[in-house]
Amino acid sequence: MTSDQGSGAARREQPRLTAVPGEAADTPEQLLHRTALGDEDAFAQLYDLTAPRVYGLCLRVLRDPAQAEEVAQEVLIEVWRTATRFDERRGSASAWVATIAHRRAVDRVRSAQASGDRERRAAAADAPTEEGYDAVAEAAAVRLEHRQVRRCLKTLTELQRQAVTLAYYGGHTYRQVAVLLEAAVPTVKSRIRDGLVKLRDCLEVAR
Amino acid sequence: MSADVHTLIGPWVLDAVDEDERTLVERHLTECAECAAEAAELRETVARLSDVTIAEPPAGLRDRVLHAAHRTRQEAPPAPAPEPARARPQRRRVRMPRWRLALGAAAIAVAAAFAGIVGTVAVLQSTTEQDRVATVLEAADAEVAYQEAEGGGRVTVIASESLDDAVVVVSDLAALSEDRAYQLWLVDAEGQQSAGVMDPGDSSATMLVEGLGDADLIGVTEEPAGGSTSPTLPMIADVALPA
Repeated sequence: MTSDQGSGAARREQPRLTAVPGEAADTPEQLLHRTALGDEDAFAQLYDLTAPRVYGLCLRVLRDPAQAEEVAQEVLIEVWRTATRFDERRGSASAWVATIAHRRAVDRVRSAQASGDRERRAAAADAPTEEGYDAVAEAAAVRLEHRQVRRCLKTLTELQRQAVTLAYYGGHTYRQVAVLLEAAVPTVKSRIRDGLVKLRDCLEVAR
Repeated sequence: MSADVHTLIGPWVLDAVDEDERTLVERHLTECAECAAEAAELRETVARLSDVTIAEPPAGLRDRVLHAAHRTRQEAPPAPAPEPARARPQRRRVRMPRWRLALGAAAIAVAAAFAGIVGTVAVLQSTTEQDRVATVLEAADAEVAYQEAEGGGRVTVIASESLDDAVVVVSDLAALSEDRAYQLWLVDAEGQQSAGVMDPGDSSATMLVEGLGDADLIGVTEEPAGGSTSPTLPMIADVALPA
């Protein structure tokens, strides 16, 4: 479900406990509900559905595979721990998981900044990972349906798009974004909102 | 102030606010339903931005996460109408379990997801019973078991040992004539007692069984309408309760 690349093939060939043979695959919402009841098999399936999103997002924000893996692990265990609090009426399961992942990744960025953790940041910058990262991102780009997101990002004005992506992928606060873009703080705030609204309409996120 | 908070919703959705602002926005969202709705929509939108960053996680991560989950206690669900702790039954053989048909919108959606069914028909008795069902489904120690029934259909049991209750979802059992009914039984080493009779001719229902005691399994039999005092064997399903 995440790729047909060889690297993951061995893992996916393991037999997986399936609730009902022949039935349509469980949705993330169903798996999350079962996870909330302590169903470890459901959680394993949920892992397979969501871990690439969690890890990929952590990797994009943190840029360091070791840290990304560490944070992804925290996130996925948080998903297990707090599945009891997921409320389908308030959003989809994948958005819920992505929200946890993004917040944790950003928290890690902020705490590193706050503690002036130069060493860690230097290590992240030095790590010979940029290639690996790009290769992974490239592979992801090929195999995943994200054209819509790319296309919709292009409908934003340059400032809207930069403000949104610097905040989301870059893990910067809107004030930091204002500094980076040499724009006024209120302008950045409103560009972020306008950009998100445009993105929403383009992606047709209807609830 | 509130206008100012409102302009922070966009940055908040992107986690691009500081700690104080985050608190401010989250408090605001509890007070402004419209803002909460907008924030929820934008959250869904923003989550889509992670579509383009999907990447294969490292090989060892899966085992570590599953292993850690196994050793991690799950949080209690957000307080759903707290109830006083119920005493364990002192004389369980004497006490008859009560059962009700129960249906709550959220509860049934959850139960249907477990049971792999849609459109279970049941009768809503009161919000109290809806809440009881929801409480069982959301219990931290709730465990799910199911079984394909003899003759078709499925019986799903979501049981909570701490609550001593179970939600039983019966779906699409073999069709019955109007003078026959399905009956539920709590079975333990000493025998079985009725846990309720479904309406004549009904082949699907969602039921709350209260007072599991030491029952080992929940059985289902076909009986004359109105039920029997002892089960007509063989049972068409016998779903083991968590030990």
